[in-house]
Amino acid sequence: MTLQTNADAETQPVLVAEDIVTGYDGHEVLHGVSIQSHPGVTCIFGPNGSGKSTLLKSLNGVVPVWSGSIQYGDTEVTDLSPDEMVGSGIATLPQGGGVFGTMTVAENLSLGAFTVDDPTVVEERKAEVLEAFPALEDKLDAKAKSLSGGQQMMVSLGRAMMTGADTYLMDEPSAGLAPTLVDDAFDLLETLVDRGARIILIEQNVVAALRLADYIYILAEGDLQFEGTPSELGQQEDLMELYLGIE
Amino acid sequence: MSKREGSLPPRLESIVYTADGDGYDWRLAWGIVAVLLVAIPWLGAGTFELRILIGVLMWIGLAQSWNMIGGYAGYLDFGHGAYFGIGAFVTGIAMVSLSLPFLPALVLAGIFGAVFAYAIGVPTLRLKGAYFAIATWAFAEAMRQLALLLDITGGTSGLTLPSTMAAFGIPLPDLPRVIYLYYIMLVLSVGVVVLTYVLFEHHEFGYKVKAVRDNEDAAESLGIDATRIKRQVYVLSCTTAAVLGGAYAFYITFVHPQEVLDSMITAQMVIMALVGGLGTILGPIIGGALIFLLDRLSALYFGSDTMYISLMGLLIMLVVLFAPDGIVGLLTGETDASDIRSNLNSLLEKFKFQ
Repeated sequence: MTLQTNADAETQPVLVAEDIVTGYDGHEVLHGVSIQSHPGVTCIFGPNGSGKSTLLKSLNGVVPVWSGSIQYGDTEVTDLSPDEMVGSGIATLPQGGGVFGTMTVAENLSLGAFTVDDPTVVEERKAEVLEAFPALEDKLDAKAKSLSGGQQMMVSLGRAMMTGADTYLMDEPSAGLAPTLVDDAFDLLETLVDRGARIILIEQNVVAALRLADYIYILAEGDLQFEGTPSELGQQEDLMELYLGIE
Repeated sequence: MSKREGSLPPRLESIVYTADGDGYDWRLAWGIVAVLLVAIPWLGAGTFELRILIGVLMWIGLAQSWNMIGGYAGYLDFGHGAYFGIGAFVTGIAMVSLSLPFLPALVLAGIFGAVFAYAIGVPTLRLKGAYFAIATWAFAEAMRQLALLLDITGGTSGLTLPSTMAAFGIPLPDLPRVIYLYYIMLVLSVGVVVLTYVLFEHHEFGYKVKAVRDNEDAAESLGIDATRIKRQVYVLSCTTAAVLGGAYAFYITFVHPQEVLDSMITAQMVIMALVGGLGTILGPIIGGALIFLLDRLSALYFGSDTMYISLMGLLIMLVVLFAPDGIVGLLTGETDASDIRSNLNSLLEKFKFQ
């Protein structure tokens, strides 16, 4: 497996959500939001309570969609359950990454591929993960909780790679990390992008996330307020200040 | 998992490594233990020794049963004894009111245990940490009060079961009853231990359970259905407790709410798993045998329960402060007894108190 280039990202299936309306217990949170996964990192920003997490949960099947549709490549995935979403190539990274602390790194990685029956595929993916994160090679037999914060992030990213996903949904991967580790964590996301993956990222740490954003959506009160590239956003100083607190 | 074939080093820690599924090949040693356990009634063991062994086996089985939900799944179940009582009463009622032989009565005990566990598990497994403990404790207390009130359970006078082996279900040669009871408990207890070992240490199911315990969000992000896994563990662990309760009823031949639904039964299971080592296969075996013998010795030397209960309190304090992974944790060297702060946090985290 050679290192994939960014050019491959153009050929990855695109996750397209159109006019998503959803919420909880009859209370509507999203009022018709359309987004898609762009090559590289697609960031969703917005104040607390804007519906960012709900949007992500509707994309991975945790929160059922009331109306609207979700397509992945040529496949309709609107009503799939979370585990079916994993099977179709969309992996979710929980807040702060999260490892299975009492299990070894090798066991953590194997669990990522528990739905895969073919052992050669599992071995191939494991080799790929170790190529992307060589630091894990020596740690395979170590309990995940004994690893440093940065290495734990590698484990959770590696575990998500083991599902064989092309698209990653991430809800605040930097949550709970020491501030000095946040930049390292985002560097790790670049590793995934370099291998052709597309990432949809929710992040409170706007300044750090802007550094690697290729496309940006701003969500507030359940509606999109902006979409465009970072340079387009840069020209909208009022938006930057209003929603992102950047002056 | 590496397995070193053919070597049988006498180091104690190597026994413990097999608890994690890797290490040495201990089939020969376990084989000898198995042969001894089967042969013991014919090696001069009398009624007294066999009754002690029946107790040891039953408590190993019960501690292992609690270990499934408490240790492997990380749910502090304070109502587990209720299932022991349900199993005992179902067996008693089936044998007395329905005149069923022991074997079909025992199957009924397991079925009732599973049905109750599912009905109680669906709402309570949504709770975490102390809230789950309180809810299950309340359920167990409710069951005891109910058993004291109902006619079918014999109310405050309890139930008396048939006390001959004629009620077993299969015609048997004429041997002392205690020998049969020993074998019944041996089969059930070893069955629970082997089931736990296969499912939780050597099967994908066990990895999923531990994944849900360690990080539920991360487990679900991989497509593991956490709710379903937790229900399966809870039903399985409660069913095994109910079956052991059924065997206990046939052994003692008298079932009373204040005895088989006593909250001390749950407490014993928790202490045994805790002292031995939570979430390990060897922990409940060590803890179950040790604590039961301690209980008997304290009854022998001090008579009343008072000293035993004080001893247990002291033991819990020691384990919480110095050995959160119990005796197994100390043997494997994974526990640093001097790191009290981290030891305390380890248990709080395990049971999701924080």
